[in-house]
Amino acid sequence: MATQGALAIRHAGKIYDPEGVHVVALDDVSVDIGAGEFCVIVGPSGCGKTTLLNAVAGFDQLTDGEIVMDEQLLASPGRKLLPGPDRMVVFQHGALFPWKTVLWNVACGPIAQNRMTPTEANEKARELLGRVGLAGAEKQYSGELSGGQKRRVEIVRALMNDPKILLLDEPFRALDALTKSVVQEYLLELYDYSRKTVFFITHDLEEAIFLADNVVVMTTRPGRVKKIVRVDMPRPRTHEVTTTDRFLQLKSELGAAIHEEALRAFEAGERELA
Amino acid sequence: MKQSSHGGSPARELTTWFQLRRWLKARWNLNLLLGVISLTTLAAVWELGKPLGIPLISNVPPPSEVIVAAQDLLTSEQYWQGWYLSLQRITIGFIIAQIIGIPLGLAMAINRMTFDTTFPVIEILRPIPPVAWIPISIVFWPTREMSVIFIVFLGAFWIVLLNTIGGASHIDPSYKRAALSLGSRPNDLFWKIILPATIPSIVTGMAVGMGISWEMVVASEMIAGDTGLGYLLWLSFQINAIGHVIVCMISIGIAGYCSSAIIRAAGEWATPWRRLF
Repeated sequence: MATQGALAIRHAGKIYDPEGVHVVALDDVSVDIGAGEFCVIVGPSGCGKTTLLNAVAGFDQLTDGEIVMDEQLLASPGRKLLPGPDRMVVFQHGALFPWKTVLWNVACGPIAQNRMTPTEANEKARELLGRVGLAGAEKQYSGELSGGQKRRVEIVRALMNDPKILLLDEPFRALDALTKSVVQEYLLELYDYSRKTVFFITHDLEEAIFLADNVVVMTTRPGRVKKIVRVDMPRPRTHEVTTTDRFLQLKSELGAAIHEEALRAFEAGERELA
Repeated sequence: MKQSSHGGSPARELTTWFQLRRWLKARWNLNLLLGVISLTTLAAVWELGKPLGIPLISNVPPPSEVIVAAQDLLTSEQYWQGWYLSLQRITIGFIIAQIIGIPLGLAMAINRMTFDTTFPVIEILRPIPPVAWIPISIVFWPTREMSVIFIVFLGAFWIVLLNTIGGASHIDPSYKRAALSLGSRPNDLFWKIILPATIPSIVTGMAVGMGISWEMVVASEMIAGDTGLGYLLWLSFQINAIGHVIVCMISIGIAGYCSSAIIRAAGEWATPWRRLF
């Protein structure tokens, strides 16, 4: 079990203020993620999920609240947090560098941080790529890969940096259902292997339950925590769990909460249009 | 399509057609064959224009006369000097355009101050067609050579500048964020992310710019030059050697094609990851 990577988000608030119009994106959001825990955030579009993730990654600053990792204050209103290899991100649309090969993409982090020599990094990269079934792809450019392969490479690239926490922003959104289920199993396999803390954002309820230890449901704007549900299904999990009674029970429990928020978000959108 | 002698079904005929195509592809190059057929047709219509009295086509000398004119021209020193000088002007003007255009475009895309100070000037000057610069260029530059090169430069400059700005300012922010997370220092982002991500746009700008450069070298040689393929074309017209005009046109076409091929090859070399798309 991982001994570090516990993340605590305390009373997080984010107010966007373009041209004097207050938009409260996050309001008093507190989430505790234990070391090595897989936490999935679900919520309707515009609930501030990505804002929260960007704040942890250091791409964006909160206007209120604190981010604490392993008892250490990372960010607070007066304390700007920069991106770093301890908090690796897998992006919604993918961010493999298309002008570099798969191997280079995966190995570049530890080399840039001077944590490994190029030989060591390449060796480790090959090992991890093999683990996700991409042993033959290392010399290819990332543009040659399919969507599912790109996602696997990107997750491997993140893990190469030995982060304390892995931040995934709807990484499988653009994938078709079949590819998605395969990549999800690969992610779980890597998770079981590395036991990193994971902060995962999605729209997809089934994905959330399948992957998570804890599912956090967020409300529509302003984003608040509506409900936290513990997923007490044993690991390692395969897609067979999605047909178990426990899975369906969790799904209906969470589904009601999410549907309510989706409806509110929809109505708010209608009002804005009117 | 060949009618099937066995009275076969349409599907069977189709198969025969595919077999025929495969046979042709294996022995000849079908694309090449089709190309030769279309070129021969063009030459035949052109050649027969005069004897058949086809209007308009009979106004221009037929290929047989052009070939005679070509023999005449291809043995003259002036013609080959024209090639040399036009290519030289293209090369110098085009390269200077890249040397100034690419760094300026990158600087404008990255630095707000640079953009705000240079953009108004550029937006006023850019819509002026390079041809319209010819008179002032003759007045401004001490030699005709320099003014022709300047016009070539302008032809390539705007397009590479705009493409560089466009490419560098529309880089997916995820690339920069990913690089920072992976341990890049903010100062390394230019070489590691911005430049490689902009190269495809620069290559596109260069390819288009090369085409415009040829237009400009011909136009400015016609007006301001006393040498070069464009000048030779105009001179041939003035002495009513229309066969020579056509040879010059074809020569410029070949030269433009070769220059574009060089740019394409350079572009593919510089962006190996895009060969796949």
